[in-house]
Amino acid sequence: MSVRVIRPGLQTTVQAAPRTGYRHLGVPSSGAADPLSLALANRLVGNDLLAPGLEVSLTGPHLRFEQPAWFAIAGAMAEVFLNDRPTDYHRTTGARKGDVLRVGSLTSGSRAYIAFAGGIIGQQLFGSASTYLPARFGGFEGRALRSEDVLELGKSDAVDEQGSTPDRFLTPMGQRWALRTCRWSGAGSLPSSQQERLFGNRWTVGRRADRMGLELEGTALETQTNGRLPSAAVFPGTIQCPEHGTPFLLSVDAQTTGGYARVAQVARVDRHLLGQLRPGDQVSFLPRTPDEATVELRAKHDVWREWLPDIEQVI
Amino acid sequence: MTTVVPKIVADDLVEFEVDSVQVAQHVARVLRESGAWREVVGGIDSVVVQFDAVRMEARAALAALNAQLSRVPPMKSVDADVVEIPVIYGGEDGPDLDGICELLEMTSDDFVALHCRDACPVEMLGFTPGFAYIGGLDDRLDVPRRPHPRQHVPAGSIGIAGGRTGIYALPGPGGWPLIGRTPEPLFDAAADEPFRLHPGVRVRFRPMRERAR
Repeated sequence: MSVRVIRPGLQTTVQAAPRTGYRHLGVPSSGAADPLSLALANRLVGNDLLAPGLEVSLTGPHLRFEQPAWFAIAGAMAEVFLNDRPTDYHRTTGARKGDVLRVGSLTSGSRAYIAFAGGIIGQQLFGSASTYLPARFGGFEGRALRSEDVLELGKSDAVDEQGSTPDRFLTPMGQRWALRTCRWSGAGSLPSSQQERLFGNRWTVGRRADRMGLELEGTALETQTNGRLPSAAVFPGTIQCPEHGTPFLLSVDAQTTGGYARVAQVARVDRHLLGQLRPGDQVSFLPRTPDEATVELRAKHDVWREWLPDIEQVI
Repeated sequence: MTTVVPKIVADDLVEFEVDSVQVAQHVARVLRESGAWREVVGGIDSVVVQFDAVRMEARAALAALNAQLSRVPPMKSVDADVVEIPVIYGGEDGPDLDGICELLEMTSDDFVALHCRDACPVEMLGFTPGFAYIGGLDDRLDVPRRPHPRQHVPAGSIGIAGGRTGIYALPGPGGWPLIGRTPEPLFDAAADEPFRLHPGVRVRFRPMRERAR
């Protein structure tokens, strides 16, 4: 079972579950930047929710099926053709040997996900097959796909439940985002007046926006640090602020420790959205206490569990 | 160990401060070995614990953490291996060296002599795979981070900040002023032991004139 890459797209990588338990070694999480969309695609082809699939960024790949296979697409929207026929997102779709899948440019949101029944067989390291590009490991040879790469698919049972994502689980992507966020209240955080400025303003995602993190343009924060803060742990969702005052929102490939002031932490309930923010999008941060954020996380799980039974492993 | 006071800093994160990087790394290792936490990351003077907020209320996490902290065994000292790291100082490899020497009012020869004098302990790993925080820097070589991080730091670059030396094993962004670069690979994903350096090892920097070709 294999799929051949005809055109790779801007940055198409194999992504699966995050790595956990290795941050003390400087090994980041990686994994799907929007794990919920990967899970929705995997759900439709009978895979584990975070089985290795393709993460597509901004422009999509062209792929040829070397064998018949079931696939499904979710996440940021693009025009998609199977041979010359438009094909749907969020639907179990069968490809025959020789069929060509073409994914166009993503129009809103940053990342789309293609899941194949059986999953992609990727290089496992530190407990996950997810690609971590800076250190060139995981996924397909630790790198983004190139033309003529051949992806091997795992064995799968016949997909017995062809279907589509129920309408109530379709989440449209916009250009405005509101992320539930906790004030960082530990050592090395900013004074509360500057934290309020983060919550009180709307921010624009800057041009520096990738899997490592996103620059937030707006009213600069005053850090009052002097470049000598002791390095300390940071995580996907941490908003840190270097001395120049432009906050940086860390994402899935973020470094594991850093020496800039920590301002706030996007709560787990909304961290899966980070992967869809794109340059020019508007972001605001909604203040939450840790307890409020956890109640909302559980409520979100309760909603999604009906369609994605293992939702706790996803978000 | 002196009493530490963990604090809930976000919905699934608890942080506490400690007296030294050695204590931070020791306590973090003990907590990690308990298997109770998603991540335990020691910093220079702090530890952050990430817990699964679905399985554990924040208050329960705090209580469990406090119970573990009350039973942390004392540190054992170990004899440290010395690893020699060759460094090309200054020039394109260390673009901030001249500026640092100007700030510190010393010649680059004096700087290099001080930087190479002692075998310095690796205090922690972190940042990105292979990045090592190395202590033991002479007090005279204390400079701050850059206010504007660089977007592209080449692999092998060596920086100093806040009284430490750091080695960027991978290319990527970075905020430490750069003094030189080593051709030695410090991270190899394909190796049985991917990390060349780890806490406890000591590093001696050795100046090299130019890159071996």
